[in-house]
Amino acid sequence: MENKISVRQICFIMLMYTAVSKLILYPTVLSYESGRDLLFSALLDFAVQGVIIWAVSFLCSRTDKTFFGLIESTFGNIFARVIYGLFALFFIICAVIPFMEQKLYVHSIFYDTLPSLPLFLSVMFFTVYAACKGFRNIGRCADICLPIFAISIIFIFSMSVGEADWSNFLPVMKTPPAKVFSASLATVFRFFEPCWLLMFMGHFKYGKGDAAKITLSYVVGALIVMLFLALFYGVYGDIACSRQFAIAKISLFFPAIDLVGRIDLIALYALEIVMLFAMVINVQMCVHCFVKCTGYENRAVWSVAVNGVLVILLLTLNTKFNAVYNVWAKWMWIVFIIFANIIPLLAWALKKGGRKEEAK
Amino acid sequence: MNILQKNIKSVKDVLTSQDILVFEFDSLNGKRFAAIYADGIADKQLLGELVVKPLRSAAQDIKLDAVKRLLASPEVKDGKEISDAIKEVSDGNAVLFVDGEKDFIIIGLKNPPGRTVAEPPTQIAVKGPREGFTEDIKTNLGLVRKRLKSDKLKIKMLKTGKKSETAVAMIYIDGVCADGLPERIEKQIASNEIDIVPDSSYVAKFISKKPRSLFKRNGTAEKPDIFCAKVCEGRVGLIVDGSPIALTVPYMVTEDLQSSEDYYALTYRSTIVRILRVLSLLVGILLPALYVSAQLFKIQLIPFQLLLKISSSVSGLPLSPSIEMFLTLFILEVLIEASIRMPNYVVLAMSVVGALVLGDTAVKAGIISTPAIIIIAFSAICLYTTPDLVETTTTLRWIFLILAGSIGPFAVVAFSAFILCYLVTEQSYGVPLMAPFAPLIKNDLYDSMVKANLYKLKNRPQAFKAKDRVRLKTGVNNGK
Repeated sequence: MENKISVRQICFIMLMYTAVSKLILYPTVLSYESGRDLLFSALLDFAVQGVIIWAVSFLCSRTDKTFFGLIESTFGNIFARVIYGLFALFFIICAVIPFMEQKLYVHSIFYDTLPSLPLFLSVMFFTVYAACKGFRNIGRCADICLPIFAISIIFIFSMSVGEADWSNFLPVMKTPPAKVFSASLATVFRFFEPCWLLMFMGHFKYGKGDAAKITLSYVVGALIVMLFLALFYGVYGDIACSRQFAIAKISLFFPAIDLVGRIDLIALYALEIVMLFAMVINVQMCVHCFVKCTGYENRAVWSVAVNGVLVILLLTLNTKFNAVYNVWAKWMWIVFIIFANIIPLLAWALKKGGRKEEAK
Repeated sequence: MNILQKNIKSVKDVLTSQDILVFEFDSLNGKRFAAIYADGIADKQLLGELVVKPLRSAAQDIKLDAVKRLLASPEVKDGKEISDAIKEVSDGNAVLFVDGEKDFIIIGLKNPPGRTVAEPPTQIAVKGPREGFTEDIKTNLGLVRKRLKSDKLKIKMLKTGKKSETAVAMIYIDGVCADGLPERIEKQIASNEIDIVPDSSYVAKFISKKPRSLFKRNGTAEKPDIFCAKVCEGRVGLIVDGSPIALTVPYMVTEDLQSSEDYYALTYRSTIVRILRVLSLLVGILLPALYVSAQLFKIQLIPFQLLLKISSSVSGLPLSPSIEMFLTLFILEVLIEASIRMPNYVVLAMSVVGALVLGDTAVKAGIISTPAIIIIAFSAICLYTTPDLVETTTTLRWIFLILAGSIGPFAVVAFSAFILCYLVTEQSYGVPLMAPFAPLIKNDLYDSMVKANLYKLKNRPQAFKAKDRVRLKTGVNNGK
């Protein structure tokens, strides 16, 4: 029961968390790499991930088993545990950049002066608690976050849309295709959604057309990001590559701000709640993988351990964000392609064992 | 010593108090009777009218069965054990012993002193019924029966409290309430042993799976119309003797954002009011914290013109923003606490002292700024739009204020996320506290933050897993 999630909740996760995890530094990096053609780079990434999301969700229609069960039935229990162990490590890698990015973002939008790292680390009380919870909690958090996300994102977008100059995108396709492609590759480590779906596999009751619903939700999430990228470049144009944490600044030109103050901050603070849930989902997945890998089911212990590792990493790499980011962009893409793209596709080759009648 | 005297002695040996009275009388043929009752809680007038009068006029020698037939009281039952007699007398009923008979008769004459049915002070309604529960369980059950005449209405009487033996009426509608729910609640109440249960809040803790939690797990109702509506939705109601506040389980947080008037007023108005309540709740909890964190960590949160006003009023203050807000909130809490406890004739004087001496003079003396007082006052008003949540929300306001003053606005956001994460996990007898929002239950959204038209509320809330889902069948043109 603790690990059951509904298709609706998975759709919300795909829609929201996909979007909010790519609103902080992703637009800046993408505009630096591929300039006014940043939308093509993003489109390339989203198209590839969308296909994999569809493949994994379609796989769910063929079997009732979890991903662990699929590996176990094909290669045995030990191999399944090893794979889940590797996935646990992968999810820690996935969590590093979002945590560091959040730290910088939080310092930027919540504080006038540069606060110390422990102020950000106070969030660990939340992450430790959240990571103790199973998929049911993840799903319900997604349910409660959707209205917050919808209201705040509409608020921010509507405040900034009037300031966008769409001619900034002209001429289209000026950037060499190789650069557009390399920009996609450099940001591929931000795309781990297929792994979430892989972990959710077997934990929800598949109904007719659910693969399409999940993929469509991902597409909507992608469209929100694309819309934001368009707004971002439309507002800032050629200086976009120097505009960090654009989501927090894009509404600043709205005329009412002068009269009523930074009302956009209210929406940003609300959106930050959703961002925190999106940030913690990798930790929750990591704990899930460790539980399956070791068979030790005390999630609290794993949660403390995983969060402890993240705290150590954050403390060690506190001032080295650029270096970490470069390593992730230049070298880690291969890891992400293997775990988030190749393994989900290879899951199709595993023994599926059919579906139970009642699940149809 | 004859049997009658033996019986009287058996009771009086245990109930030695002087308010336990024995009234001995003879019938016309000389048969002796003894009525034992507790003075003050048994109705002496009824005893005379319904018991003593008919028996005194009995001419022939009568046995126990015939005595029962002679009694004019509608509430009569047999008793065999002296322990039962003691229990009934303590409960307020009278026990009638007959000379030569070992058994006895219990006569329902319980009439403890209590107030009459009146509008509850905390749930005042402009539209709709004004009756409120009293401290007497029988009156309360009568108020429920008056509204729910169905044969499916089940009332199970329970006892709790080792010394007080407080009566608890468990009320539900058979076929509507989820299977096994009344049994689970009964078991939960029975599993607790305590000397005295003076109020339903004790029972609320008994039935809660997490009694130490900041968030309650049961709903409350002070008015029978609200109580009956909740029972009809599939909840189990609990009326505790001695308490005017009835309990309902399972519980969802949204029910405390609703009031009975929402159902009697125009739906659009009800929806607006409900949204206002949610906003008030958020403002009430977060405003002091956000004000402090804005002043300390993120000045941009405050509009420029307002900032100028604030800066002029806070300049020269000896206290930091967080200490200032902390102090103002402390004063408010003390004033609220004192105004509840103090006698009515002092309240006016204390209001003057609170508002003028503490408020105005503190501002003039430059100890506290005007914005701090405005914010705290507004926060207090906002929180009282949802009175059933005040205990929780006022505590949360303190926590948020401390976090905002020490860590800043990020702590406010992170703690909000933590609370959301906690609330979506928690349940009340299998019903998620945050339903119908998390998990999202489309059918139940019609009566959540939005109050839909009556014809939209055809089904009972899905969250309660009611067996009989349909609560409204519309006629030919109704609801069009």
